[in-house]
Amino acid sequence: MIRAGPKTSPASETLAHTELELSGRWRVVVLNDPVNLMSYVMLVFKKIFGFNETTARRHMLQVHEQGRSVVWTGLREKAEAYVFTLQQWHLTAVLESDETH
Amino acid sequence: MKRIEVKLSLPVVAPLLDVIRELADGLGRKLAAPQEFGDLDPEFRDAWHGDLLADQKADVGQLLALFDDEFFTEGIVAFDEDNAEPIVRACAAVRLRLREVFLRGLGDDTLEGGDVELGDLSEPVRKAFTCYLFLATVQELIIQHLDSSIIDS
Repeated sequence: MIRAGPKTSPASETLAHTELELSGRWRVVVLNDPVNLMSYVMLVFKKIFGFNETTARRHMLQVHEQGRSVVWTGLREKAEAYVFTLQQWHLTAVLESDETH
Repeated sequence: MKRIEVKLSLPVVAPLLDVIRELADGLGRKLAAPQEFGDLDPEFRDAWHGDLLADQKADVGQLLALFDDEFFTEGIVAFDEDNAEPIVRACAAVRLRLREVFLRGLGDDTLEGGDVELGDLSEPVRKAFTCYLFLATVQELIIQHLDSSIIDS
């Protein structure tokens, strides 16, 4: 639980910042690796995000050709769950703050 | 239940199992794919890492369980709706580890393209690369025949 402190203390600023980070929007990003098969990456995207064939292929090709693809954006808790699941499937996945919102 | 049986060549595949078993030990202690945990709370990060490791270990156990008495007598392995998911994941884990331990010298472009002259490789690297290709074939087979079972499960 987050406790409230004096308004001017660095601790309260940090807490406020943390609250903002937690409540803001987050990106789930998949990074390229030279090992996993394209068909496997597509399978994982379909399984985890419910993508259809076309969307799964588009994200897979983004990963392959551009080195990364943002596969989901939303609240932190759910983003963490997606990153965990992608990592269970041995894809390299990271969480990034979505600074555009 | 959908099930596929595959007849494998014992003399070809049996030696590859030594490589998989050797790497399986390490996969009980280290994640196959290095992961960044960012700004997670250390306690949460440790739990996260521990859960990933436990899942990885269980998946690799399922892969090794494929090569049972039936395999060593008949050369047959079977994939179904129950084992397809853990096995396809375990193949990914072992392939990542193969790259890390044996195949770094080939370079990522070569590894991705698969254009390798086996005769030019040293014995351990040749064996590891053959294993790498074998596990990719297992993954392709499962994805080709059981992908809907995995997606819908």
